[in-house]
Amino acid sequence: MRISDRRFALFLMTPAALFLAVFVAFPLFRLVADSFFKISPIAGGSRDFVGLDNYFRAFASEAFVGAGWRTLAYTLIVVTLEFALGLGMALLFTTLGKSSQIWRTVFMYPLMIAPIVAGLLWKFLMIDNFGLIGTLLHQAGILSNPNQIGWLSDPGIVLYSVAIPDIWLTTSFMCLVLFAGLQNIPGDLIEAARLDGARAPALLFRIILPLLRPVIAVALVVRGIDAARAFDTILIQTNGGPQSASETMSLLIYRTMIRFGDPGLASAMGTLYLLAMLAVAFVAVSTIWRPGKDN
Amino acid sequence: MRVAERIKNDGGKSPAAVAGPSVPSTGSSSGRKRRGVNREGLEAGRRSTRTLLWVLLAAAMVLYGFPFLYLLFTSFKTPIDTIAVPPTILPREWTLENYTNALGRSGVVASFINSIQTAIISTLLSLVLAVPAAYGITRYQTLSGRIFIMAALVTRMVPPVAIGIPLASMMASMGLSDTPIALSIAHTTISLPLSIWLMSSFFEAVPKDLEEAATVDGCSRLGALWRVVIPVVSGGIAVTAIFAFLASWNEFLFALLMTAIRSQTTPVVIANFQTQFGLDWGSMTALAAVYSIPVILLTLLLQRKIVAGMTLGAVKG
Repeated sequence: MRISDRRFALFLMTPAALFLAVFVAFPLFRLVADSFFKISPIAGGSRDFVGLDNYFRAFASEAFVGAGWRTLAYTLIVVTLEFALGLGMALLFTTLGKSSQIWRTVFMYPLMIAPIVAGLLWKFLMIDNFGLIGTLLHQAGILSNPNQIGWLSDPGIVLYSVAIPDIWLTTSFMCLVLFAGLQNIPGDLIEAARLDGARAPALLFRIILPLLRPVIAVALVVRGIDAARAFDTILIQTNGGPQSASETMSLLIYRTMIRFGDPGLASAMGTLYLLAMLAVAFVAVSTIWRPGKDN
Repeated sequence: MRVAERIKNDGGKSPAAVAGPSVPSTGSSSGRKRRGVNREGLEAGRRSTRTLLWVLLAAAMVLYGFPFLYLLFTSFKTPIDTIAVPPTILPREWTLENYTNALGRSGVVASFINSIQTAIISTLLSLVLAVPAAYGITRYQTLSGRIFIMAALVTRMVPPVAIGIPLASMMASMGLSDTPIALSIAHTTISLPLSIWLMSSFFEAVPKDLEEAATVDGCSRLGALWRVVIPVVSGGIAVTAIFAFLASWNEFLFALLMTAIRSQTTPVVIANFQTQFGLDWGSMTALAAVYSIPVILLTLLLQRKIVAGMTLGAVKG
């Protein structure tokens, strides 16, 4: 006997759905449940229900509020810079046309590098004393001494420095996506605008960017989510320091859980972090996309 | 659901151009198709402008390519030269000492085997789960399918740090602590949603008549999927496999939380060099190079497939 199409579709989806339920939904449920308990980090230790106490403690702690703002700032820095650079490169590759194809391939290579390796590499470039960047800037006469800028040791600028590997790794992604979008803009549209006397900036802001809007929206949301979760590159470069100046939410939760042994508080922070991500992503998706308005 | 439909409509143009029914072609070939139009459109005409743009591109490529070259050069320096003040770009003396030091450390070679094992298991698991699920979602367009693909999108937003610890304790209670299986399951939580999104867009490009003809010829629906549809999307499956493999190969946080001695992957070992052995920059650069070069070569070899997956993955989710 033939089962109905609907049942058959369900049958095909069940294994994947079960997998996600067991290994994503259930741990998330455990996370939320743990956030209402005070848990001793020792195996088999005490577990007392404390209601919303962990949430109050999270909001009262300077570390949590600070990490929230830093995560937001970090995400904005990363996404803005890589969007600007990625768009620039995509326009460059498009205007140069086919002859630049091989360079487009080469430009992709950082995408394959592990974030941990990228973080390590940039730490090596920016580190005090034997870091190459300070030395080269000194030799070029821009800095009076190679250690004048403490890329990773000055709390005032460290958040920008730790963002560099992330930008380096994923500008290629922005570039690829925007490049694909640019290929779909009809050439005669650009030509018509040129004939009407539109100059390059007008062409970019009035025609190209509005047409790319859906592609830009997806690229920004996808990268925004990833940047807000950044962990590897920051951990390896500064471990959140100096003076917590580069401690973003992922790092704070990790440290609260592992180093300070407070799973209850860490779970409350994790829950709030997840809710914030969902809320921001939802708002971003529904406002940038403007469903139904941009056709 | 509106979101997913928007993605479909808006992205419609580029995935359609990118995901041909048989071989997933690439951004570059879709570019070629439109090149004639673009020449009068966005491509720059004047020679002086073009020269200036080439100079700009050269500068960008040098800035972009240099960091990794410097990593390579450093890995061939002597351990002492590695941290010389002031640093030099090229090694004063080319040597493999950093490589022999790095690979000679206990656990390093084993970590490579663990990385490969974990990535392969995770890739297979992702494909086995994602291929039928994506087919069920795209072919039958049921409500449950639409809910499921949105749920997969939401999964992408879950910070790994939030589920890492509960997941690790689940694995422990299943008796899987510190095994490549446990880590590959964790990695599949990352690659499965992505794989479902990618495969869905590849299945969308397959004409429905294809398996209808097969079922008329007496194939069951499962048989039609296996014998007719799967061979047609094999290019798409390859793209999805590459992404699942890379997601696992480069992953660090789950590996840090879920492995100890036996199943440690190379990213964790690279990070540990910093704490366990003081600051052994030479060995770290060598190991980082050894770990990155295979996947960079893979990119250059398979760049068309990777470009197709990148653009689809972005436009779709």
